Amino acid sequence: MWGMSAVSEADRLDRVQTLKVLRRAFVMARAQRRLFLSALGFVFVGTLVTLAGPTLVRYGIDHGIRTKNGSALNRTVALYVLVVIVGYISARMQFIAINRAGEGFLRELRITVFGKLQKQSMAFFDREKAGVLVSRMTADIESMSELVQFGLLQFVSAFLLLILATVLLAVLSWQLLIVAMVVLPVLIVASIKFQRISNNAYLDVRENVGNNLSTLQEGITGVRVIQAYGQQANRSKRFRLSNRALFDSHMYSVKISTWYFGLVEFAGIAATGAIIGFGGYLVHQGTATIGTVTAFVLLLANLFDPVQQLSQLYNTVQSSTAALHKLFVIIDAVPDVDEVAQPTELSTRGALVVDHVTFAYAGNDREVLKDVTISVADGERLALVGPTGAGKSTLAKLMARLYDPSESNGHRGTVSYGGVDLRQASNSDLRRRIVVVPQEGFCFSGSIRENIRIARSTASDSEVEEALVSIGALERFTEFPEGLETDVRERGSRLSAGERQLIALARAALVNPAVLVLDEATSNLDPGTEAVVEHALESLMIGRTVIVVAHRLSTIRRADRIGVIDHGELVELGTHAELVELKGRYAALSDAWDRSQPQR
Amino acid sequence: MGRMTDAGTSFVSVAVEVKEPLSDSSLGWKLLRTALFEQKKGLILGVLVGVFWAAGKVSVPQLTKMGIDRGIEGRESLWFWSGLVVGAGVIAGIFTSLRRWYAFRESRWIETRLREKIFDHLLHLHVGYHDGMQTGQIMSRASSDLQQLQAFVVMIPITLSNLAMVIAIVVLLISSQPVLALVALSPLPVVTILASRFSRDIHPVVLEVQQEQAQLATVVEESVAGVRVIKGFGAEKVQSDKLLQEADDIWKVSLIAAKIRSRFLPALDLLPSLGLIAVLGIGGHRVINGQMSVGDLVKFNAYITMLIWPLRNLAMTVALGQRASVALMRVNEVLNTPSLITDPVVAFELPNGSQTQPVGQLQFNNVIFGYGDNAPIIDDFNLSIAPGSAVALVGATGSGKSTIVRLLTRFHDVQRGSIKIDGVDIRSLSLNDLRTAVGIVFEETFLFHDSVFDNIAFAQPDASPEVVERAAKLAGAHDFILELPHGYATILGERGYSLSGGQRQRIAIARAIVSDPRILVLDDATSAVDPSKEHEIRQAMATVMKGRTTIVIAHRAGTIALADSVVLLDGGRVVAVGTHEELLLNDERYQNVLAGWQESDDDDTEVDN
Repeated sequence: MWGMSAVSEADRLDRVQTLKVLRRAFVMARAQRRLFLSALGFVFVGTLVTLAGPTLVRYGIDHGIRTKNGSALNRTVALYVLVVIVGYISARMQFIAINRAGEGFLRELRITVFGKLQKQSMAFFDREKAGVLVSRMTADIESMSELVQFGLLQFVSAFLLLILATVLLAVLSWQLLIVAMVVLPVLIVASIKFQRISNNAYLDVRENVGNNLSTLQEGITGVRVIQAYGQQANRSKRFRLSNRALFDSHMYSVKISTWYFGLVEFAGIAATGAIIGFGGYLVHQGTATIGTVTAFVLLLANLFDPVQQLSQLYNTVQSSTAALHKLFVIIDAVPDVDEVAQPTELSTRGALVVDHVTFAYAGNDREVLKDVTISVADGERLALVGPTGAGKSTLAKLMARLYDPSESNGHRGTVSYGGVDLRQASNSDLRRRIVVVPQEGFCFSGSIRENIRIARSTASDSEVEEALVSIGALERFTEFPEGLETDVRERGSRLSAGERQLIALARAALVNPAVLVLDEATSNLDPGTEAVVEHALESLMIGRTVIVVAHRLSTIRRADRIGVIDHGELVELGTHAELVELKGRYAALSDAWDRSQPQR
Repeated sequence: MGRMTDAGTSFVSVAVEVKEPLSDSSLGWKLLRTALFEQKKGLILGVLVGVFWAAGKVSVPQLTKMGIDRGIEGRESLWFWSGLVVGAGVIAGIFTSLRRWYAFRESRWIETRLREKIFDHLLHLHVGYHDGMQTGQIMSRASSDLQQLQAFVVMIPITLSNLAMVIAIVVLLISSQPVLALVALSPLPVVTILASRFSRDIHPVVLEVQQEQAQLATVVEESVAGVRVIKGFGAEKVQSDKLLQEADDIWKVSLIAAKIRSRFLPALDLLPSLGLIAVLGIGGHRVINGQMSVGDLVKFNAYITMLIWPLRNLAMTVALGQRASVALMRVNEVLNTPSLITDPVVAFELPNGSQTQPVGQLQFNNVIFGYGDNAPIIDDFNLSIAPGSAVALVGATGSGKSTIVRLLTRFHDVQRGSIKIDGVDIRSLSLNDLRTAVGIVFEETFLFHDSVFDNIAFAQPDASPEVVERAAKLAGAHDFILELPHGYATILGERGYSLSGGQRQRIAIARAIVSDPRILVLDDATSAVDPSKEHEIRQAMATVMKGRTTIVIAHRAGTIALADSVVLLDGGRVVAVGTHEELLLNDERYQNVLAGWQESDDDDTEVDN
């Protein structure tokens, strides 16, 4: 099968970049270097063994058979046996060495890249597409496994074989080598051309596979709508289109490969024919022996196969270096929210102060927050309101140091807690004092208990249960047949939306922070669950400083103060009564809400 | 399975999900034969072409031998023999191409064909089947399982012609030098045995590697999707530990795979070399003794080399065949699942409406239904809705509201009782008629990877632009559609432009308007909507409902108020009927159900975010 890896024009690296990436990979593979080098040594031995076979046959014919020297023949056979055994042993050693080196390298790469990813700030994750990050860690690294498992060595051995075979053949008979070489340019040109076209054809196939899978998935997930509107026939027709497009692209890539493989087959045999013709002529002239001609016929494959292999491996190398390059970009990314070397301790309680903070997402000039100053007293409850995209959530995240303030006009604002700039605090301290509860209760695969414990991995079983008790949600989960050990399944699909939110709240309770930053859910739960979640939330908020990005008037009214954010600015700040009195934005929002109420 | 939630789709399956172990391998082979038989023409052609290829290939060493013996040693015309070899090369080259072409064409075609068959079948399978299956599971039937089949089918013409070549070579060798042939060929069967052992041993390990890779992918996916949780709690270490574990697992399993490879692959290279050594040793002495020629020696050498790959492939093909037959059984499991909801043998038609005789009368008579063997979720449900009137279904979670809708569209069939539209039992209508008559706006709007226009015109793909625009205007969607990058031509769906919950919902309502149903169902159509936008959706809903029999499922008072009357559901039956005001005033159960948000109507509402 021909190399099923391809690289798009956009991803392709030039020679300088490729060498740079490879050099860096080699530096990175420090720990595996000895294994890599010994694997290369074994490859060298293996290549010699491959060439030794036909050479020994030639020697046997010329010095044993033609001279009717039985013992010389026997010696040759014995040597052949020895060579084959050496080849076998070195091949085994090579397998072990290269795999231990390669897998070790990939393992380290996985750990390094993931570690780097984890260090990145929230802003990084907002910026990058989730699917892309995941494919870096999976597809991109896996695409290299082919290279490290055999590609790299094959590349080296094909290269060695090509050179050594050429040298050997030249020594045997340079005239015959020239004859054999006649088809080589054709083969090289064809291989290069084939590799280029097939690369594009393969990219096309890959795209069609993607489209077809999406259409398939759409049909399956949308089956209820399709049936409800009786559109089966239409959808089938659609699917047929993408399915046939895939078939056509497959057949196109096959078409390309057919002429190439036919040509390769022909070229090899034609070269044999030429060797017999010219070789015979040379034998008749007395300038070559029949053993040499035989050796040529047998060695020819070693001249042509490497050309094919090299051209196929070219794509593998290209796509692997492209993948490596992308991984290096992640490794090199400097986290924009990083821990200081000598952190200052955060006090257990204190005011959370936002001081002249401006914020823009990296690579974007638009200031999401403009010179915001706000101080939240210890134990105060602040609600942030405002239109979508006004910057409320961003402000809330800054208050928990998920982002750091940006510089603006040479001034960088600060967020501090108890008088300490959050940037000076250690991460562990910070996460113990200030906890963010995201609106969607995200669940990891694992049990309910594990999902809660993620907030504080050292917590004991009873502490997890206490956290649940404190928000009045323990029964909700002990009701399950397997209690807290219940597997929540993929993305928590075993649980209802309300139960997932309860887990999110239990996590916060487990940490027992001084400050809670809440992003209120916009979607409604069914009334029964809503009440339980509401109750849990209330219990959690007692005795803590709370900053809540609010969508519900009930939440807003329960807050001590309300901050109205509009276009990145804090435009109003005060109690409900004060703001209604002010007749500004808040009063207008409150009014709009009143009007949208149904008539009773 | 998730808990039984009325609104969710995670019901316990009523589908018969046959999960018997796929041990009956004879069935798999039978299925394979049937599938292949349908393409016998192409496959036979492929094999035939392959036989020509084999002939070309086999003739080369023979011609080489003759060239050496007669041309070089016998001083006959060199050009003649060398020309013949080149000629054989032309034949081998052409037929290599053709063999490849036919092999791939047939294998891709069988894959393509079956995929369409599966897709068509899936679209007609009852919803209960889909409820019980994970999307990924079904997807893999139509993707990876078919790929396994493809990988085998492509090998059929190739392996059969390889086999022809092997036989020809063995016959040639034995007839020319029986003793030498037997000795030189003896390691080769071991190649096949070893190769099949190899694929037997390596396959599970390769699967394990893939599994470990998938587990690592899960950790990464969750770490990225759940980054807010991880950052929020500083749980990076927890995830890093998980990743380390998975990376170690991959490493371990990969090295096991490497060990297996190192045990087999070098040995597979070694064995044929032994044959070649035998040729040199035994054959050499025979040449010295004058029992054979140097040409024979070269010929033997070349033939033995030619046998290596076909013999290795043979083992691989057998392994691929086994996997393909298992895959085909899984595919067949889908194709053999009958749809439990089908058209009646004799279909009735719905009466046409007139001024005096309005249509859209809906009646539920003693309906009983439960999912699978579970207790009935709908228990003696009775309800009659007059043409053109709107009813709100209200009830706590699990009271059976959404199930009623699923029964009305025959996503499931009632177990007892009947549902009648304008006096006709829905089971005696053709599915197409029924589903044209009933239009649903689902709780979650499903948008296809199509233009806005096509998404709205979903029920009537040939609808005119006027019809679609009118529907969009009625649904309050026209204005925002015009603001989209390409207006009505904007591509939506998972890979397309993403709309807000409210916008999606309005597209769904426009979709229902285009379908112009006799009976409209709004299944919790506002729940996924940003609350501040809810009133806009309500307006759109009110427009569509005008003069049309409508069932509204709702939580919120504002939406319930759209209906003429309210039906309170509890335990799968109607417990109270009346207007919203009446029930709110007089019915304690109604008050209780609404209590969750009714606590204060303030609580239910939000300011603009």
